[in-house]
Amino acid sequence: MDEFHDQFPNIEQADIRIFAAAVNASSNGVVITDNTQPDQPIIYCNAAFEQITGYTKDEIIGRNCRFLQANDREQKGREALLGAITAGEHCKVELRNYKKNGQMIWNELRISPVKDSNGQITHFIGIQNDITARKNAENALADEKANLEKRVTERTQDLQESEDYLASIIETIRESLVVLNEDLKILGVNEHFCKFFQVKSADVIGKGLLSLGDGQWNIPELKDLLVNVLPHNNPFEGFELENEFPDIGRKLLVLNARQIVLEGKYQDRILLAIEDITERREVEQRKEDFISIASHEMKTPLTSIKGNIQLLERQAIKNNDTAYLNGFATATKSIARLERLIYDLLDVSKIQSGKVEFHYTTFNFDHLVEEAVKGVQVTTPTHQLIITSKCNTDVTADFGRLEQVLINLLSNAVKYSPAAKEVKIHVTKDDEFVKVAIADTGIGINADDQRKIFERFYRSERTTEKFPGVGIGLYVSKQIIKEHKGTLWVDSDEGKGSVFNFTVPINRA
Amino acid sequence: MSAKIIICDDEQEILDITSMILEAEGYTVIPTINSLTVTELVASEKPDIVLLDLWMPGLSGDQVARQLRSDEAVKSIPIIVISASRDGREIAFAAGANDFLEKPYDIDALLSIVNRHLLGGEQIAS
Repeated sequence: MDEFHDQFPNIEQADIRIFAAAVNASSNGVVITDNTQPDQPIIYCNAAFEQITGYTKDEIIGRNCRFLQANDREQKGREALLGAITAGEHCKVELRNYKKNGQMIWNELRISPVKDSNGQITHFIGIQNDITARKNAENALADEKANLEKRVTERTQDLQESEDYLASIIETIRESLVVLNEDLKILGVNEHFCKFFQVKSADVIGKGLLSLGDGQWNIPELKDLLVNVLPHNNPFEGFELENEFPDIGRKLLVLNARQIVLEGKYQDRILLAIEDITERREVEQRKEDFISIASHEMKTPLTSIKGNIQLLERQAIKNNDTAYLNGFATATKSIARLERLIYDLLDVSKIQSGKVEFHYTTFNFDHLVEEAVKGVQVTTPTHQLIITSKCNTDVTADFGRLEQVLINLLSNAVKYSPAAKEVKIHVTKDDEFVKVAIADTGIGINADDQRKIFERFYRSERTTEKFPGVGIGLYVSKQIIKEHKGTLWVDSDEGKGSVFNFTVPINRA
Repeated sequence: MSAKIIICDDEQEILDITSMILEAEGYTVIPTINSLTVTELVASEKPDIVLLDLWMPGLSGDQVARQLRSDEAVKSIPIIVISASRDGREIAFAAGANDFLEKPYDIDALLSIVNRHLLGGEQIAS
């Protein structure tokens, strides 16, 4: 009557229809293969099977099930499947199948053999369940888990390494380090600390920092700084502490402290670094004393030279003896240069040790510029120094130091524009700053040198032979302007001239 | 009679040149290299003006100035400190000096400062 009836002759017609309808309505794919034919072709598939595979019945019937695996034949499930088919047993496997459009789906396949009255397997029934979504989720979960484990392992290793790393730094560093908790109790010290203070770590660990020794550390300002490190994450640097310490004598220490943030267990700790600058400060002081004494000593013979030259010059003028007047003028100029050099050297030494004193007063800025220009003009017969604009502003600054900057910049402008006839000085202001621009039409400065001319003792190679000097003036000027919270810079075209600019705040805040 | 000036400096060449400059202007100059005895010298010579170096072995210029200022007999004699230290100005004035001149000085500056204080002294005297 129909093919189903032919295959299952012992099943009642009515039952068959119900079964067929049920099978066809199942959301699982169902196939039946004929085991009596070569290569076990599919002889039935339901609608769901078509739906899942994307093939139509016409394309399915007559083929072996393996066509669903496409070229993906090396599958674990396949062996189990073949074994079950050969043995004529039930089995459940998971296979990668491919839809007609090439998309891979995970097929959970159950097969059951159908036997005839002689026990011969006549058919296999295959129930197909698309478990792609589940499988993907499972795979993703497994991946995620593996990934997580890997990360945990790596992190643990990182932590271990960074701890070892930190420990080795802390022990190697030639600076005393102390770890404190929020109550300023000592949790650890490094080897350098023990060596420097001549203590054993066991003697200090667990004690309060401020109670160490005879109270050398018990300084209210230090305590204030330390207790503020953690709650407000307020690191501090450069706190100087000078005291007499047991066994090691008077020491000048500089202290830095910060919060340690290292993953969890080290939170709420303070790392205190202690540097011994006793010797360095002594050396600085000696150097400064040396320069100070040396320049003082240089001034004594210079006073004698200057006095004698001036006296001789006066007598020569009185006697109408003009033969040596040029010589006197040259000597006077050289003396002035030597004097300026000595002052500059003193300045460099003081600036470096941060000991320049600035005396701030309020004065008319134009007046300052006029004074400086007048001073330089007197000794400059070759150039006309022209003030092209004024600012009409009072500023609060160090008159003498700014005059020094102006004189330096004006002298440079003259010195480095030997062929020019004039130097122009523009003075302007805005809301916050007065600005001076000193423009010459001299040899200019190439881009490379522009970056370096403000460095101490820098001399451009091009100028060394033609223009004498030691490379201090611009360095000192830069430091003076910096101290005023202004800026000093240069705009220049090589061969066309330079414009040195500086700004000074009108109100010193 | 020309004005009498005592100069105390521990450097002979400074004493020489300063004396020469002042003598060329007609002043009577008494130079001394010994800061320990300059106070006695001032007391006995009663000069019109005293020029002091600042950093000298024995007594420093500011110490000498303080001694002179505390001696009733010589306290009104003008004192000018001449030093190569730029911060000497404050030290000098704090010790009671009337003026300060920085080394190396210009002859004109030296003469004008000396003249000014001699003139000031005469004006007070008259």
